[in-house]
Formats: sequence, structure tokens, C-alpha cells
Amino acid sequence: MDVEKKHFTCVICPIGCEIDVELHDSNVVSIEGSKCAKGKEFVSQELKEPMRILTTTIRVKGAKWAMLPVRTDKPIPKRLLFSVIEELAGIELQAPIKVSDLIITDIAGTGANIVATRNMKRENKGKLVQIER
Amino acid sequence: MEADVTVIGSGPAGLVAVLHAYENGAKNVLLLEREEELGGILKQCIHNGFGLEQFKIDYTGPEYAERLIEEIENTDVRYLLNTMVIALSPDRTVTAVNPDKGVFKVKSKSVVLAMGCRERPRGGINIPGTRPAGVYTAGVAQRFVNIDGYLPGKEIVVLGSGDIGLIMARRLTLEGAQVKGVYEIMDYPGGLKRNIVQCLNDFNIPLHLSQTVTEIRGNERVEGVVVSRVDEKMQPIEGSEQFIACDTLLLSVGLIPENELSKGAGIELSPITNGPVTAETMETVVPGIFSCGNVSTVFDLVDYVAETGMTAGRNAARFATASKQERKSIEVIAGENVRMLFPQRYFFKDDLVLFIRCAKPIERPLRIDVSPLDMQFKKLYARPNEMIRVKVPKDRLREITEPIEVNITER
Repeated sequence: MDVEKKHFTCVICPIGCEIDVELHDSNVVSIEGSKCAKGKEFVSQELKEPMRILTTTIRVKGAKWAMLPVRTDKPIPKRLLFSVIEELAGIELQAPIKVSDLIITDIAGTGANIVATRNMKRENKGKLVQIER
Repeated sequence: MEADVTVIGSGPAGLVAVLHAYENGAKNVLLLEREEELGGILKQCIHNGFGLEQFKIDYTGPEYAERLIEEIENTDVRYLLNTMVIALSPDRTVTAVNPDKGVFKVKSKSVVLAMGCRERPRGGINIPGTRPAGVYTAGVAQRFVNIDGYLPGKEIVVLGSGDIGLIMARRLTLEGAQVKGVYEIMDYPGGLKRNIVQCLNDFNIPLHLSQTVTEIRGNERVEGVVVSRVDEKMQPIEGSEQFIACDTLLLSVGLIPENELSKGAGIELSPITNGPVTAETMETVVPGIFSCGNVSTVFDLVDYVAETGMTAGRNAARFATASKQERKSIEVIAGENVRMLFPQRYFFKDDLVLFIRCAKPIERPLRIDVSPLDMQFKKLYARPNEMIRVKVPKDRLREITEPIEVNITER
């Protein structure tokens, strides 16, 4: 029998339970240290497929700033984070862009979309914007 | 110019203060921002985790800012960008400068300070060694990467485990840099646990506790740093030195409230928070000048920053529109195992929302006593890197005459 022990820190709430898991031939036999059921769910998901929201930037032209901040609209498998980053590295967008604008659908086959997280007006770099309202 | 309420700084505290001053009856609200757009540091904090308590939504920093900016655009609040406040007097006259008006003054019925913090630089912790390029504070590196699109280096050592340092360790890893390790002089991490897990553990970035950088090497560019273990008194242990080759050192070693304006206005500063001494109304010791967000004390969560902004905005509007101001005040004192306590005064106007940092970590059930009230709050643990928030209702406080003291003890 193949016995494996794994350790997780739960991030569902600020307590951050330190959870120990024991696996026999890849089957979970014990989950210990979790103060609530959500901690066990968290660990089960981490064992199956860890999921993360990705936030990053994409190059943008015609705006005051060089980079547009973006995010995935839902968590994606952790193992695909770098694939998404690589795919985005080759892209250049054109301002104007609005917050929540859909930038790319189904990025890197994750089923998640890349959306803008801020407004990016069309402006010349270095130009002083209207300063009074 | 004239204003009912003038807010200095448009980060999360300032944006929320403006909205709440406006909603609470201040008609002529003016927001002054030194940068060319509203939002402050939120614009470069592209990670998520903002507003979970306030809005129950997991926003990124820019999304959180856009939401508040949109609310402001829907009011008739005025704002001035590219406008640097250079002086504040105790009579609430604000002196500012911008390219359009030159130097100008704003006479304001009340003022809200929301200038936030600066990062502690290399000089603030006196790291010996040469002075090459490649030493950045974490926030500066964050701006380079997330707004300007430059990678500050390829092989990176992070000193300090504050949240910005942890966030940047992940960000630089995603952008292709190699983060060799995060070094923390204390024997516990500075940042939130979720950031340790999601920024370091997820990417196998090692965290070295009780270690610090004791020398920076390199001529033109950083070539490496020497790290040493430290003893209980945080002094480097001789013989423990280890050389780490790298081209960049990021510093995440603390934030310092922007105090120049406060000092000029004669506002008493707290040696513990390094920000203005403040009451539960967010009013400072100078009548009509309020303070909120990280200029008051460094908060862990934007939700807490926003909460103080709401209180400051509401009370600044109240001050600007009320005819007579009465002031009764008692002290709020940090007792056993309390390293930081905010606010430091009680003015008998609002509920007392206390923000507490313990001195020593306790991983057992504990209680927080608020004396002379017979009032206790029970917690399962207390950690110096996680601020505790408790609320004392104002009707419990009406009759008290002696200072309020807060103690943390094990149950």
C-alpha cells in the first residue's frame, strides 16, 4: 500500500486551519485539523484540482498607461496559470476599453473569460488630462 | 475657493469619505488628488480580495476603485486632479498647487486627511553595502509591472513579508522572474495567511523567518545580497551569513503615514500608529480636521479603510453643517498584549469601533476586555499580522468618566 501525507493551509476564512491529510493508494483516509466542513471541502478540491482566480495585465495602445489590468471571470485550474499568462503575452489591445469588457473568451481552454478590470480611455501618452470638473 | 468638506487624497479612504460627506448633507464637497486620475494605490493593486466584507464581492483593486469613482461621477462632487496639497492650517485652510491654477487656497468648514502612506525605503532600515541599481520598494516594483509594463529584474530577493511583498513575489513569478526567497526578520510572517498560501506556497517560493538582509553587493547593478539569521533581539548572528546571487532586492518593510500636512496643522501624532491621534468620529485633536484610512494607521483590509472613510466623511459633514460643536473626550488606552490600538480618543458621539493589534501571537482561545465596562469579546486566536476589529455600542459608553482600556488575555 502506498501511504502519502499532505499538508494544507485552508484559505476559506482568516483562521487558516492547518490541515493534514493521509492518503492510502491515492484514497483519502483522514482529514485532520479543519475546524469546519468548508475546510474539508477546500482540501478535497485542492486534492482533485486546485483552482485560482488569475489577475494579470495585457499591453494596451492608445492609452495613457502601457498595461491594462485583467482577470479571469472565474477560478481556473492552477496548473494552467502559466499557459494563460503565455497566451496573453502576445496580445496587444487598443484603447478605449471599459471595466468588465470581455477581452478573450475561453482562455487557454479553461472555460473562463478574460475581462478588463478598469476603464482605459483613449489618450495620448504624457498628455495632461482635463484637471477640473 | 470655499468648500464645506475638503478631502485630501482619492485612494479608498478618500473616495469613501467624499461619498459619505455628500450623502450626509455636505453640499459643497471638494476632492483633491495629486495624481492624474482618481483611485490612489488601488490602480496598481490588480489582485483580487478587495471589498469582500464591504460589498460581499471579490473585486480587484482597479474594479473596487472604478465602482467608487462611478458613484462619485453620479454626484455633483467636484474634484481636482494633478493637485498637490502643500499646506494645511489649523483653521482648515488648505493650500494647494496645480498646473492650471498655480498656488491657491481653499477655505473649508471641515477637512478629511486621506493621504495614505509611503513605503519605508532602504535608508529606513539601514542595510549596509554598496548602492547599486536594483533595490526597489515593493510598491514601486508593483507600479512598474502593473501600470508601466516593465519587469524590474529577473532574479529577485524579497525582504519583508508584508502583504505587498508577498503579492509581488507571486506577480513577478507569473511574469517570468525567479523569486529566490522572502526573508522576514520577525519569527512570524507579516502578511495575511491567505497571501502566504496563495502567493508563496502556490509557487514554491520559500519564506525564511528570523532572517534578514545584512549586506547588498554589486557596483552598477545588484549582484547579490548577504542574508543572516537573527537572534531573539533581532540582532544578526555572526557566522550565519549566506550569499544569495540576485539582480534585484524588493523591500516590503513597512509603511509610514504621510504626516507632513498633519504636522503643519498642529495635529498630535501617535508614536504607536505614527498617524494622527484620532477619535471614534475620526476627528483629530484639531477641531474640524478628520483623518481616515492608512494615514491614521496601517490597516490589513480595504474594508477597514473604507469603514474609517465612511465615519470620517459622515462626521466631517456633521461638523460642516452643525452650528455648535461640543467636545467631551476621554482616552482609549492599549493595555496587556496590545501593541496597537486605534482610535486613541472617545468623543461620545458614535459607536466605538476598535482596531487592535496584539503584541504577541496567541493560538489559543482568548478574550478582549474593554474596561471600565464589563465587556468582553471572545476570539479563538490573535496574531500581530491580523488586525482585530470589535465594536462597542455608544449607549454602553454614555456614562463613563475614566479612560477606556483594552486588554488581551488567554481564557
